Amino acid sequence: MEKYDVVIVGGGSAGLAALKQLSSLGKQAVLLEAGEKVGTKNISGGILYSKKPKKARVYNVEDIYENFLSDAPFERKITKYILHATSKDKVFSIDLTAAHNYEANFGCSVLLGRLNRWFLQQADEAAQKTGGGVVPGVHVRSIRWEDGRTVVETDELEDIETKAVIAADGVNSEIAFLTGARKKFSPGQLYQGVKVIVKLPEDIMNQRFSIGQEEGAAYLFAGDVTLNHIGGGFLYTNRDTLSLGAVYHLDSLLENPSEPYDLVNALLRNPMISELVRDEVPVRGEVDKNLPKEEQMRIRFAVTKMIKTWTELRGSSLSRTQREKMIRDGKFGSAEEMDEQMASLRAQMAEKYGIKFETDYVEAEYGAKLVPDGKRCRMEMPYIKNVLFVGDAAGRGIFVGPRIEGLNVGIDDAARAASAVARALDRNDFSDDHMGRYYTQSLEESPYTHDMKAIDKDYLKIFLDAAKGVPKDIISSKYGMVVKMMSSNTLRSFAVGFANILGYDKLLPIIETADTYVKVPTEMAERLGKPVTASYTPTIPSIAERIAKLKYNDDPRSHIKVLKPKSEFMEKMITLCPTRCYFMEKDGVMIQHEGCIECGTCSEETDWRHPAGEKGISYQYG
Amino acid sequence: MVTTKIDKIAVLYLDMMAGFNVAVIVKLEPDFSEGNVSYNPDGTLNRAETKNILGPHSAIAVNAAFYAKVRHGAKISIGTMGPPTAESMLQQAQILSDADELFLYSDRIFAGADTLATAEVLKCGILKMGSKMDIVFSGHRASDGETGQTGPQTAWKLGMTFLGNVIEYEINEQERTVRAKRLVRLQGIYDVIEEIEAPLPVFIAIDPSYKARFSTVSQRLAYEKYQREAAARAQNFKQYLKIFNASQIEADPKMIGIAGSPTIVYKVERIPKGKATRQADVIDGQDAEQVAKAVSRIRQALSTMVIK
Ligand SMILES: Cc1cc2nc3c(=O)[nH]c(=O)nc-3n(C[C@H](O)[C@H](O)[C@H](O)COP(=O)(O)OP(=O)(O)OC[C@H]3O[C@@H](n4cnc5c(N)ncnc54)[C@H](O)[C@@H]3O)c2cc1C
Ligand code: SF4
Repeated sequence: MEKYDVVIVGGGSAGLAALKQLSSLGKQAVLLEAGEKVGTKNISGGILYSKKPKKARVYNVEDIYENFLSDAPFERKITKYILHATSKDKVFSIDLTAAHNYEANFGCSVLLGRLNRWFLQQADEAAQKTGGGVVPGVHVRSIRWEDGRTVVETDELEDIETKAVIAADGVNSEIAFLTGARKKFSPGQLYQGVKVIVKLPEDIMNQRFSIGQEEGAAYLFAGDVTLNHIGGGFLYTNRDTLSLGAVYHLDSLLENPSEPYDLVNALLRNPMISELVRDEVPVRGEVDKNLPKEEQMRIRFAVTKMIKTWTELRGSSLSRTQREKMIRDGKFGSAEEMDEQMASLRAQMAEKYGIKFETDYVEAEYGAKLVPDGKRCRMEMPYIKNVLFVGDAAGRGIFVGPRIEGLNVGIDDAARAASAVARALDRNDFSDDHMGRYYTQSLEESPYTHDMKAIDKDYLKIFLDAAKGVPKDIISSKYGMVVKMMSSNTLRSFAVGFANILGYDKLLPIIETADTYVKVPTEMAERLGKPVTASYTPTIPSIAERIAKLKYNDDPRSHIKVLKPKSEFMEKMITLCPTRCYFMEKDGVMIQHEGCIECGTCSEETDWRHPAGEKGISYQYG
Repeated sequence: MVTTKIDKIAVLYLDMMAGFNVAVIVKLEPDFSEGNVSYNPDGTLNRAETKNILGPHSAIAVNAAFYAKVRHGAKISIGTMGPPTAESMLQQAQILSDADELFLYSDRIFAGADTLATAEVLKCGILKMGSKMDIVFSGHRASDGETGQTGPQTAWKLGMTFLGNVIEYEINEQERTVRAKRLVRLQGIYDVIEEIEAPLPVFIAIDPSYKARFSTVSQRLAYEKYQREAAARAQNFKQYLKIFNASQIEADPKMIGIAGSPTIVYKVERIPKGKATRQADVIDGQDAEQVAKAVSRIRQALSTMVIK
């Protein structure tokens, strides 16, 4: 049996940070990732923060990767953070940039496909120096302890003996469940996140969001776009794409099931958002059915090729950096020359092939994933024997108001786990007392853990101050606490103190309600909002079309087994599965696993595993 | 005379010390994916406008060679006969296999070659690669109108043992043998797996279903290491590339090109559609009635079938 000092399960942002940190400490570790490549299974919103808490230090992304700011392919630094309350065509906006900047060095939008691949390069390079590295396409099946040895079993490779394991296998961690380290998370502890990637050329984005080349915007949405669920929408600017998504409390979705894609569609149909995603889209003309088959095929292929060329050329010509690069590389003499070529190509497309140019939006990828609410589900003992849990696998994430932070928390956890493991390796002691408890203690000291236990009163104050522009009498008193907090000076300071005393367990039922996310914003928009009109109606792809665009590597065996085909929960999955994998048969609910995107929504009442190595969904953007 | 003989022995000896050598012969093929392929108005392929890539079967052969690199640190040499534009295809092959050397055999005189004349060029080319090959790999066949003859003919010309339809192989360096699983047809039964052992050197035509399997972490780490090396090498692939014409590979002009081709393609015809022997009812539409009709016909058909 081969031996490696440390095995890391899962190559998301948390697992990769653990590998990088352990390797930097001179320790040997191998990371096993189920996806065919690192970065194909991870999905986020997402804004990656670097923080400078007053209380104590955290390990930031640039502490782990020193060259992060100069070299990493993050999308844009977010410089504008705005909450939009919606009601039909009305929008009322509150600038929350101060809340975004709170205790932050920076927050940047990221696409995990691209970013995790970069993390991989850095971590892998460091790991090779100690005889470790990354092995993608390997699914860890279980961990067994025998004769004082720890053995990692996988679906693809021979068993591996190791001294310590870092489990970074995400919110649907099988390791946590199989080793008995924790129970599966319950719907009350989870949010369901659904997201689409929308393409938009860089220059158009800059202009539309009034941001510079080096700036970015994050928009949050509450009100009628939530379709009465607890949670909200987000729209983040990436370099030349937008991340548009919805994150809702799973309990709230179970109570009043809505199709996940409808929740995204509700956002897309909001006139303000329709306008933000708007673009020019080439549409194929009908091919004359009377032409010979060969000719029809020739035209079809030529059209595909032209649209591809035009789209690429347009993307480059509407991006300052790419434009300059193409001119530097001698592909074009000047920007005007590019424009001319585009215009002539466009004319040719229209005249020769009847391609029309319409106003619409371009969706590139659909995805979904559960998000653990650290307030409710962080593991208090994030270890079992010599296995340490980090990031989503440990249920650690900050979920306060519009704040969703899992990426930075997972990175901080990973650095702490790496230190604990390195220390254990130095003393050759992997016992609970020595390693597990040390790690737990270290996590307790993390300011992030504090944020998962109690609301930060300074943060709350900024938040409430931002809303002080809302006139006192604007919203009827029937909405209780939240509104009062926002609309009165005295109450604001009272609320801050109050929040501090109460702690989350008492505060949550007051704050995390439909009032906060739905009714108050809706009423604010109705009474104070400005009307926005959309200049077109977006053509929203059906769920079948969305699934058809995704890349899967089919596994004939199902990784999910339905255990209770007649339960109420399973019946709701017919609605709540984001890719409609469930349907009703006469014997109860059945699964068709082929379209599964491994979000975990159905995990509670199923025998749920990740697919074997390389199998299942492979995201391009993430 | 004497000196050259000693030289040859010395070279042989050095080769043995240098470890394991494998060659792969690959083929440039049109990219048939939508958006890349172009057709002429008469429906024939527009070769000038269609992008050319490493053929899918060739890619599998290259993958098979890469297995020898990961497991045995083999030196890989890749050769192809083609126009000067085939360079970028060799680069693709290098990305897949971390090839140590790339050879392009390019000469106007090669034009019009059938499979036999092609095999002659490849034979001469392989002999010019400078190492004594332990294994030579070829794809199963090409996808743009070829017959799967080039591989076996090259093997025959090289005087190597030919193993076709190989789906898996293992090398035993000490014993200098190869163990291979072949997908064969036995007494009319398809897909029988035959396991054989052969002394090196051998010529392997790889089956399309071949997939390299690495079963330990260290093998997988070696795989990743060579992949990275391959990506780096392929950026400067020209450093690894040698271009040879007919005289440089010492090919006999009578054996190559049109002169060396006993066959010429006279005309390619579509396979005529067979006359349908069954009667078909067209059921068109999505309404309940049409669907019900389809279901009942399927039921009817199933009821007459004996499923064992
Ligand atoms: C819609 C949405 C919006 C979000 N927005 C934000 C945001 O704005 N800011 C923020 O900080 N966070 C955000 N988050 C949360 C953040 O994305 C996650 O916390 C983070 O990605 C989790 O990283 P991880 O490494 O812990 O887990 P993951 O990224 O889930 O990685 C786990 C990895 O383990 C692999 N794996 C699992 N099981 C096995 C096994 N048995 N064997 C081998 N490999 C295995 C998986 O393939 C996967 O690659 C958001 C999440 C969602 C869904
Ligand atoms: S089957 Fe389950 S895990 Fe898969 S996409 Fe549907 S709800 Fe998510």
